[in-house]
Amino acid sequence: MGRNSILEVKNLKVYYKTVFGDARVVDDVSFTVYRSEIFGIAGESGCGKSTLVEGIYRLVKPPGYIAGGEVLFEGADLLKLSENEMREIRWKKIAYIPQGAMSSLNPVLRVEEQMIDAIIDHSDVSREEALEIARRALSELGLPEMVLRMYPHELSGGMKQRVIIATAYALHPELIIADEPVTALDVVSSREVLQTLSELRDRHGTTVILVAHDMAVHAEVDDRLAVMYAGKIIEVGKVDKVFYDPLHPYTKGLIDSIPSIAKKKMIKGIPGIAPSPLNWPPGCRFHPRCPYSKDVCRSEAPELKEVKPGHLVACHLYAGD
Amino acid sequence: MNSMLKSSVSIARALKGIIRIIGKNNKIKIGFCIFLALLIVGFASPYINRLRIGDKRPHDLGVGRRWEQPSIKFPLGTDDYGRDIFGMLLVGIMYSLSIGLLAGAIATLIAVTMGFISGYKGGFVDHTLRTFTDTLLVIPLWPIYMAIATYIPKLPLESVALLLGIFSWPGAARVIRAQVLSLKERAFVKLAKLNMLNDLEIVFLELLPNIAPYIIIGFINSVMGAIFAETGLRLIGIGPPLLPTLGYLLSITIGVGMLSVRPYVVAAVVGVLALIFISLNLINIGLEEEFNPRLKKVTGL
Amino acid sequence: MKMEGTSLLELRNVTKIFKGGGVYGGKEFRAVDEVSFSMPSEPSILALVGESGSGKTTIANMILGFLKPDGGDIFFKGESVTSWLQRKPKEYRRKVQAVFQDPYEIYNPSYRVDRILKLTVRKFNLAASEAETMRLIYEALEALELRPQDVLGRYPHQLSGGERQRLMLARILLIKPELIVADEPVSMLDVSLRAVFLNYLEEFKSKYGISCLYITHDFNTAYYIADKAVVLNLGRVVEIGSMEEIVLRPLHPYTQMLISSIPLPDPKMRWKERLELRKLQVKEIRPEKGCPFALRCPHATKKCEEVKPPLIDVGGGHMVACHLYG
Repeated sequence: MGRNSILEVKNLKVYYKTVFGDARVVDDVSFTVYRSEIFGIAGESGCGKSTLVEGIYRLVKPPGYIAGGEVLFEGADLLKLSENEMREIRWKKIAYIPQGAMSSLNPVLRVEEQMIDAIIDHSDVSREEALEIARRALSELGLPEMVLRMYPHELSGGMKQRVIIATAYALHPELIIADEPVTALDVVSSREVLQTLSELRDRHGTTVILVAHDMAVHAEVDDRLAVMYAGKIIEVGKVDKVFYDPLHPYTKGLIDSIPSIAKKKMIKGIPGIAPSPLNWPPGCRFHPRCPYSKDVCRSEAPELKEVKPGHLVACHLYAGD
Repeated sequence: MNSMLKSSVSIARALKGIIRIIGKNNKIKIGFCIFLALLIVGFASPYINRLRIGDKRPHDLGVGRRWEQPSIKFPLGTDDYGRDIFGMLLVGIMYSLSIGLLAGAIATLIAVTMGFISGYKGGFVDHTLRTFTDTLLVIPLWPIYMAIATYIPKLPLESVALLLGIFSWPGAARVIRAQVLSLKERAFVKLAKLNMLNDLEIVFLELLPNIAPYIIIGFINSVMGAIFAETGLRLIGIGPPLLPTLGYLLSITIGVGMLSVRPYVVAAVVGVLALIFISLNLINIGLEEEFNPRLKKVTGL
Repeated sequence: MKMEGTSLLELRNVTKIFKGGGVYGGKEFRAVDEVSFSMPSEPSILALVGESGSGKTTIANMILGFLKPDGGDIFFKGESVTSWLQRKPKEYRRKVQAVFQDPYEIYNPSYRVDRILKLTVRKFNLAASEAETMRLIYEALEALELRPQDVLGRYPHQLSGGERQRLMLARILLIKPELIVADEPVSMLDVSLRAVFLNYLEEFKSKYGISCLYITHDFNTAYYIADKAVVLNLGRVVEIGSMEEIVLRPLHPYTQMLISSIPLPDPKMRWKERLELRKLQVKEIRPEKGCPFALRCPHATKKCEEVKPPLIDVGGGHMVACHLYG
């Protein structure tokens, strides 16, 4: 494990068995996450980002299966751990907030009940101790204690999501994986939640993997960002480098298509449609939509290579330069 | 009316779709085959019996001698009035299925009408119809059947079916109403309104094709319910004595004591009843399997 | 009766109250509270911006005639919508159409997508023959860069979200209304598809003169295509102004909070301060009297909790409903 890295994913493959063959939803993905950073995974629907983090957390269920690769955390390969060993990791070392977690709050139980239940499920404390842990988690996140006695429907969307984050943070995991935490929230709540995640990093040194399709969200909080397309990571780098010096044509197209109140410019989309996992195009998967595609792009898939310091891209435009 | 033409076109297309579904799903295939076989047997029963016992009806007294042992002519023997059990079994299939299908059709028709009007109109109309439906739902049916059967002993088949049908629709009506209520708010209904479709067109062209699965399953449930109800009633002696349904057959064979003396006779009747229910249930389960993943395909990608 | 120079769309003190809980009455809920704004007769795009619960969808439903206002009225070209729908509904539907948010839900899953296009042509008498129907459909599809052979004959679930939403625009092009009510049309599309869709809305305005009421919670897209914005909070209008004014010089504290919370896709321009609100928002409470934002406003006074601030013009067509400026 390299300098200060907390998680290293190597050649991870998550496939789904279908009647038409294997859908290669996550297809040979490698990246490193460093301690106390917010690492973003961006990409549009169908690129495989949610499946990627499910694979890391060992939540892939049939017909999905892990077809290969390693996920190294604190010296151990998570994919090779037994279910019991994995249970020791979950919540205590790595916490996972799935998409739509807010709507899975039980409407007939008070918040404290649900937090206590979650804490007890993953540790050996008593109910009183769990309540203390819950209180501490809420205060660490700057949430008022009165939230404990409330029911989910009495809370705003942003508040519910922050309660979820507090529950995830309760046992002080070193790494929190959040899948689309702000997609369903309005702009003010979204800001609250994202600032909460930033504070976890700033004040407590927690590492966060943030999966989101909204590039603006990544621009606001990420330290480093990986862009996924068609089951593969096509660019990784520091967030300002990715935004100001996007190397991959897809990243460029993505950034060019974001409207912003900061500047009035013509935005254009990316022509064509995203391919399906049952039918990945040969060679570079983006070549049918790429304005710069050459012959080699149709036949050979480009490797993810470090082209500038800390900035990796998988594109033939940078091969050999 | 143009919309009637359009809806018959969509019904035809739906039928084509149905035939396709039947072929796709094994449960439906098996269930349908068994049921079809039963239908054919029931339909052909008068002719089969004519070949077997000539012009007499199997439930006439003295078709054969009393308490005959099973033989080639009387595969299930006769009872203590000389009635041909096997013949009655064949004919019973026809009568029971007829009652079931007819009652099911009546119940479904009423349920669909009530459910649609209630769900689509909403407001006061919905409130009134719902109160009426719920009241009917709570009324205990068996005492009513018993009362009617006692005072009007000679009911023809259609009347029995009607009776069963007009008391059993409330359950299905509630389901259909719920479906209509939820579909009514969907965006494609709003779009239909923006496209100048009137209420009738929306009901037949937009809503009906999407609710059809529930209506079909509801219909099959009603059929099963009616056969079950009629059989149960006959077993305790309620019902017109001249209708030789399977329930009637069951009641006389058990009543005469065949359970202990010739249990295979009772087993045969129960077996046929079981076949009816198994086949219909298979169709229903298969349909639900088919319709639910298909609905999922709509909301997901 | 139409008057010269009348606005295309005008809402005057429109109110809509929903009663919760059963036929025998229940709690009242003011979804829309005395909302007024207008769109000019020249083709324009107006952004109606608000979060969920602001009443924006209810306003859309009232403009489309699915709901009737309980107070005030909505006028299209000088005539009330209710009157349009009573006397000449077909003409109204010809002139006012909609695009909805969910590209999956707008299609009836039991039919192929051709049906909606053919139905539109037929119901609005846009063509005299089958051949002309198909010609119009092909033209509309091609104008939206959809290949007829890729799209016709398919069921909705066989097309992608972007294709479905563009097909809706093709339908609009067939009708060529004067006003499109677009309720969050891009929020369920991928980012790279949003640009395409928004560019089409802009083209519809400039090339075909079709105005658009763009309803959204996302200021970034609103800024991109709209000239003017109306900001809603809990059913009330809090601010109206040109897009530039609202974004660069928001006056109402709610608008200021919204604008400052928008994530900018620019890592060099991040939120600087922590979000400070007067009272931590636990749950949206809709107050009976006073300004609906009073509970969360950092500048709120006693007056704000008692008296609803009126919408006043502070110059240049910029209007605010806030006691700070009264």
